[in-house]
Amino acid sequence: MAQSETADERAFHVTPEEVRRLCEFLYRRTGMLFAEDKRYYIDRRLHERIVATGSSSFQSYFALLRSGLEGEVEHLVNAFTVNETYFFREEHQLRCMTNDLLPTVLRNKPPNEPIRIWSVPCSTGEEPYSIGIWLMEHFPAVDDYQIEIVGSDIDTRVLAAASQGVYGTRSLMKLPPSLIERYFENPSPGAYRIDAGLRNSIQFTEVNLVDARAVAQHQGFDIVLCRNLLIYFDDASRRIAAENLYEALRPGGFVCLGHSETMSRISSLFRVCRYPDAIVYQRPETERDND
Amino acid sequence: MPLVRRGTTPPPEPAVAEDRAHALEALRSADPDVRWNAARTFQNDPVGVVALAAALETEPVQRVREAIMTALMRIGTDASVKALLPYLRWQDAARRGAAIEALQSLPDAIAPFMSALLRDQDNDVRILAIELVRGMPAEQATTLLCRLLEHENHPNVCASAIDALADLGTEEALPILRACARRFAKTPFLPFAISTAIARISDTKG
Repeated sequence: MAQSETADERAFHVTPEEVRRLCEFLYRRTGMLFAEDKRYYIDRRLHERIVATGSSSFQSYFALLRSGLEGEVEHLVNAFTVNETYFFREEHQLRCMTNDLLPTVLRNKPPNEPIRIWSVPCSTGEEPYSIGIWLMEHFPAVDDYQIEIVGSDIDTRVLAAASQGVYGTRSLMKLPPSLIERYFENPSPGAYRIDAGLRNSIQFTEVNLVDARAVAQHQGFDIVLCRNLLIYFDDASRRIAAENLYEALRPGGFVCLGHSETMSRISSLFRVCRYPDAIVYQRPETERDND
Repeated sequence: MPLVRRGTTPPPEPAVAEDRAHALEALRSADPDVRWNAARTFQNDPVGVVALAAALETEPVQRVREAIMTALMRIGTDASVKALLPYLRWQDAARRGAAIEALQSLPDAIAPFMSALLRDQDNDVRILAIELVRGMPAEQATTLLCRLLEHENHPNVCASAIDALADLGTEEALPILRACARRFAKTPFLPFAISTAIARISDTKG
């Protein structure tokens, strides 16, 4: 209908082959698989990045991307990730953590060794902060152990927000007022900031779960929450992620997936554990347990 | 505050093989952890296919075998497919199943091999090949399965192909299915299966 194109629109004539090249690039870098059926999603984000970088065409944008200059790979990855979450999401898994997983972990844990919990992807921090709040409210032995919580994500933009720890009312919708009162400051109407003590207790790191070398910096965890990430991967990337989660866990450690995900169809590395509140996956204590 | 920031516990040194030469050597290590890490080093390195294929043949530990298969899947080249295909003939069902799973995830890479697999002398291999066809786009799968059905004489292989067509076939398969029903008129379960497949394909179309 429009008779004249804007400069943006001219830059955005992208062929299916160019989309395929971009998707292949993203896949190789992140394991995230986008196909033709996600064309609208891809086009929108690609358009944003072409405009944001001032590229004159897909070709010039793709050259910039492949050059690794200006942090464009990171910007593109940030644009393609989905980051919506809220506090106490899938609360039944938090209940499972304190009722069943931590007691199991503690049975074999040497004294003075910290409990380590990893939230990946952590998005803007709701999940790792939820773990912290949940433990302080529901784990009676919370004062007897050093507990380390690490939140990681591939998207550096959300990690910066997670460190800030400022949330709107929508993120807090499942938290009772008493917990909001106890763990949040309310600097301005509609804005809630995690109190400094909790904020300073959680470490946030960048990680790509299909990059073994990056995950190698995240090891020795007792519990990993990896929810609603594997659904974005293809079979090969899911298996790599499963191997990396296995490697990140201590023997006997647990991984919790999202309610629509199952490890059994991805990998036989883990043992399925059915607890009253959740199905979780355990790294076997010994090699023999798994063979 | 009982929660503490990480940093008090230095992460253990990763056992990831640092370079390709080291990783090639590590694939033959006596330590399964070293072999596991070596296999994972090759996840994006097509040069590793030959070494991975050799390691897969003798690897006794399931976890390491899985890592090798994962690396071959991720590399996803013709060479990966060639490394995995021999396991379709393997007696060990676990390895055979793992190979099928890996090959199913590579529909583009296996496409050039499918015609030969569907003509294999071994009935069981042809049946497994049909399982691989299931992972391919419907039109391509229909063409391959129809070609098979035109000449296939083994009723169990035909039954597998008919079952696959019932799930993903397009209407191009209908005349081939009817001809197959006539050819196997004395094997009652096949015409019955074919009538079901025809009804499902026609329903999908309608």
